[in-house]
Amino acid sequence: MNDDDVIICRCEEVTKGDIRRAIRSGATTFKAVKKFTRAGMGLCQGRTCRRLILQILAQETGQTPGQLAPGSYRPPTRPVPLAALKGEES
Amino acid sequence: MKGPDVVVVGGGVIGTAVTYYLAKQGADVLLLERAELGGETSSACDGFVILQSKSPGVHLALALASAELYRGLADELDWDIEYRNCGGLIVIEREEELPAMRTFMAKQQAIGLDVRLLLGDEVRRLEPALAPHIVGATYSPQDSQVNPLQVVLGFAQAARRLGARVRQGVPLQTLRRAGARVSAVVAGGEEIPAGAVVLCTGVFTPELLTPLGVELPLRPRRGQLVVTEPAPPLVHHIFLCARYIAAKYHPELLAAAEDEALRLGVGLALEQTGSGGFLIGSTREFVGWDKRTTPLGIREIVRHATRILPALAQLNAIRTFAGLRPYTPDGLPFLGPVPGWENLYIAAGHEGDGIALAPITGRLMAELILTGRTSFPLTDFAVDRFARGKDQGGQLKVTP
Repeated sequence: MNDDDVIICRCEEVTKGDIRRAIRSGATTFKAVKKFTRAGMGLCQGRTCRRLILQILAQETGQTPGQLAPGSYRPPTRPVPLAALKGEES
Repeated sequence: MKGPDVVVVGGGVIGTAVTYYLAKQGADVLLLERAELGGETSSACDGFVILQSKSPGVHLALALASAELYRGLADELDWDIEYRNCGGLIVIEREEELPAMRTFMAKQQAIGLDVRLLLGDEVRRLEPALAPHIVGATYSPQDSQVNPLQVVLGFAQAARRLGARVRQGVPLQTLRRAGARVSAVVAGGEEIPAGAVVLCTGVFTPELLTPLGVELPLRPRRGQLVVTEPAPPLVHHIFLCARYIAAKYHPELLAAAEDEALRLGVGLALEQTGSGGFLIGSTREFVGWDKRTTPLGIREIVRHATRILPALAQLNAIRTFAGLRPYTPDGLPFLGPVPGWENLYIAAGHEGDGIALAPITGRLMAELILTGRTSFPLTDFAVDRFARGKDQGGQLKVTP
């Protein structure tokens, strides 16, 4: 079955096919897939797709998801209004 | 066994550019990247190809030559680097900053940059989202933006097509010396004979040179950035502020400042990227190798940015990150041979200008390595320029 059209990262609209192509052209870590495709870089910061991407990476590279570095989590980890980050009432 | 003509060390924007231009000239090139392409400074920066921020002189002249190469680069590389000739603004918040900006601008005009001063409502007509207190801005239609990662990937894949080999996950261990030459590099447990070696290793360059007894005055300087959720177009240009210029060229003035934002070297660098999100920077801090973001740094960046563009306060931040920029005392990169060596070169130390200067750096380094001559004089970028000033020996400081 061809599931290349399945959307993996909804925030950035990245499909399974996009991710497979990135892996096959040398992006063999979570970090590299993210940089190639922008998967996981959108509004939810990979909350949904991180595990899916690791699964695809594992399949394509013949590893288990546990063997792969999961990538970094960057603060604030959930959307925070800039008005709040200013640390003032506004 | 015969090795490659040139081994390029470092797969950031500079290393991939050097690899590409060498391969374009027909050289047999091997690029060694210790982790992955664009994994350090080149993926933790903005995508400005901004000319207005360059010091009027050889720095701006070099940037103008680089901007010219960027125009045709997407076609040449056959890769979408998201190049946009959007124009740029350096926003002036205080009347006191006007005279210095006028002088800076006049010198830039003399070198051939199209830059003009827009006052008050003139600049708000161009960017209605600017706050009412903004005094004005210098504007250049020549400023542009790119996606830095796509530039790295674009150079790398085009170089591969021209026959270059790009190897990731292969750290440089040792340079083998034979007289005044590097005979081979040892990397990834393998000894690779090399015709020439060029270090495009940014902030990591000094640690590679120390074993050779060469000291390079290059230090990591942290820049923190904030990314927002995608938003409809709010601004149409890339933005810096006049204070950024001060933070860039006069860190000594900032270190003593009372104001928290000034001490952190916060100067606005803002763009709305191709994906609609805002990339907002930045601090300029000397904190060693610490790549973390700090609540204080982020707070000062956000305060500064929302003061200039109040509508930003409504947006959500989705990510913060920091990168280390290779700072040099005069704001210019090191481009040239390592004194005392016949075939060892450095292209590093671009601080926040690596993206803007990558194409010209790649092209000039290729010319230098393959022909011994360059179409743009590199005297001001000499690797030993600081050592020469200090003791008239004309030699880089070398420990026995």
